[in-house]
Amino acid sequence: MVVCEIQGLTRDYGKGRGVFDLSFSINQGEVFGFLGPNGAGKTTTIRHLMGLLKPEQGYCTIGGKDCWKNRADIQKNLGYIPGEMVFFDDMTGAEFLSFMAKYRKKKTNERTKELLDRFELDPRVKLKKMSKGMRQKVGIVVAFMHDPEVLILDEPTSGLDPLMQNRFVELILEEKARGKTILMSSHMFEEVERTCSRVAIIKNGKLVALNDVETLKAAQTKKYIITLEDENAAAAFAGEGLQVYEISHNQVTVIVKNNLKELISVMNRYPVKNIITPNQSLEDIFMQYYGEDKS
Amino acid sequence: MINWTLYKRGIKGSWKTLLIFAAVLTMYFTVIISMFDPAFGSALDELAKAMPELMAIVGMTPASAELVSFMEAYLYGFIMLVFPMVFCILSANKLISRHVDRGSMTYLLSAPVKRETVVFTQMKVLVTGLFVLVLYATLLGIVDCEISFPGELDIVKFIMLNVGVLCLHLFIGGICFLCSCIFNDSKYAVGVGAGIPALEFIIQMMANAGEKLEKAKYATFFTLFDSDGIIAGESGAIWGIVILFVGAIILFGTAIVVFSKKDLHI
Repeated sequence: MVVCEIQGLTRDYGKGRGVFDLSFSINQGEVFGFLGPNGAGKTTTIRHLMGLLKPEQGYCTIGGKDCWKNRADIQKNLGYIPGEMVFFDDMTGAEFLSFMAKYRKKKTNERTKELLDRFELDPRVKLKKMSKGMRQKVGIVVAFMHDPEVLILDEPTSGLDPLMQNRFVELILEEKARGKTILMSSHMFEEVERTCSRVAIIKNGKLVALNDVETLKAAQTKKYIITLEDENAAAAFAGEGLQVYEISHNQVTVIVKNNLKELISVMNRYPVKNIITPNQSLEDIFMQYYGEDKS
Repeated sequence: MINWTLYKRGIKGSWKTLLIFAAVLTMYFTVIISMFDPAFGSALDELAKAMPELMAIVGMTPASAELVSFMEAYLYGFIMLVFPMVFCILSANKLISRHVDRGSMTYLLSAPVKRETVVFTQMKVLVTGLFVLVLYATLLGIVDCEISFPGELDIVKFIMLNVGVLCLHLFIGGICFLCSCIFNDSKYAVGVGAGIPALEFIIQMMANAGEKLEKAKYATFFTLFDSDGIIAGESGAIWGIVILFVGAIILFGTAIVVFSKKDLHI
């Protein structure tokens, strides 16, 4: 069943900015990854879903309701983490949570407490004095505390440390198991890999790719930077028949795709001093998969 | 149509400002009322006679011997116009455009609360603040006069004067609030929202100043608040109040419609 649908959504800000004829849909119980470089139109799309912007052309619906016309109604069952956390700074975290609950005409419940414990957040601190990570946690609690059916999360883990990112992934997986529908924009490959079933990528406001995460993972290639004792060893290592990306001094960068065993056996025969895997962003992987020409 | 949680929060955010304005008004009221002297004409009247042009600019023209006319001349020509006006400008900006500018409006709209309700609630906060401020001035004036000059004040006329000033400020508040709803940028909201009433007020002062510029009074809505006419019980002055009140309703109504229909980049 389709829960969230975007059809021909267009908003032209001029100079190629905005979103253009964007269409995709998200099914119930699906975690949908929404990716793209900065300025690609992710946040603009999300603003349309939140009923903050009126589509110039096309439409978007959540639960069969129009996102612009029925915005207040849709919010009853929607949780939102904005890309930027701006609260009422004079409040403490606890005051803000209680304000939001009452504002929604809900009571602060057990779930709020459970979420605070899960993210180890002390809400008695003034929002103004909170670190970026703490503010992010407050945002997460606000989005989940009323147990909504649909969640729209704009870079939900920015500012969180790896431990908390992990807890967040666990939370998403639990919600997914409970049948919640989630749209999540993210930059973290691991996060998307672990949670999302499908991923869309947009660039310059246009949908450039829409695929299963499994398909992507299968096509994924990885880089390894191997440090050897000296330049001679590096040169010899590079001649072993692996796909070499780059040699610089005593470092060799190789590209591995489904042949990790071969790399390991070669490394066994050489005086390897260090091995690192540079971070690869999801966009890199996507672009690699679809080829730069597609962008 | 109203969200009480947001309303309470708005009131909590306004009371400090209200307290400051109330304190300033208390000071002016006490000092000026103490200058009233029914038998010999007050010190202020002497001043007004000494430099009539300057005093006229700020609406202070020699009054009759009645206490209510005295207060009308020396409190409701400048002080009760300017201070509540500043309150309108500050509050209207804080209630809508600052939330949009900073981004905290996101949280008010990511809840099952209609935009119309958000704006209406914020409008109620502004109107409540104004009402409390004018009510305070009314009570302060009555109590102060009864203590200093028992039985001298024509209370009915004084209340009518305050009803008039309240309607004037509802109208000004409507302008500021509408600007706060139109502009996403706080600086434009304040610039235009404060600029229009301030300009109109300057025109009013110019019109007060001299015969040549007297016609300028037709270019400012301050003319609709005819304090002399209210004291004299003229029907034209009552109509002025009614027009201001209706104007305020139209301005606030427009503000609600504008905000509900506009695109928000937050």
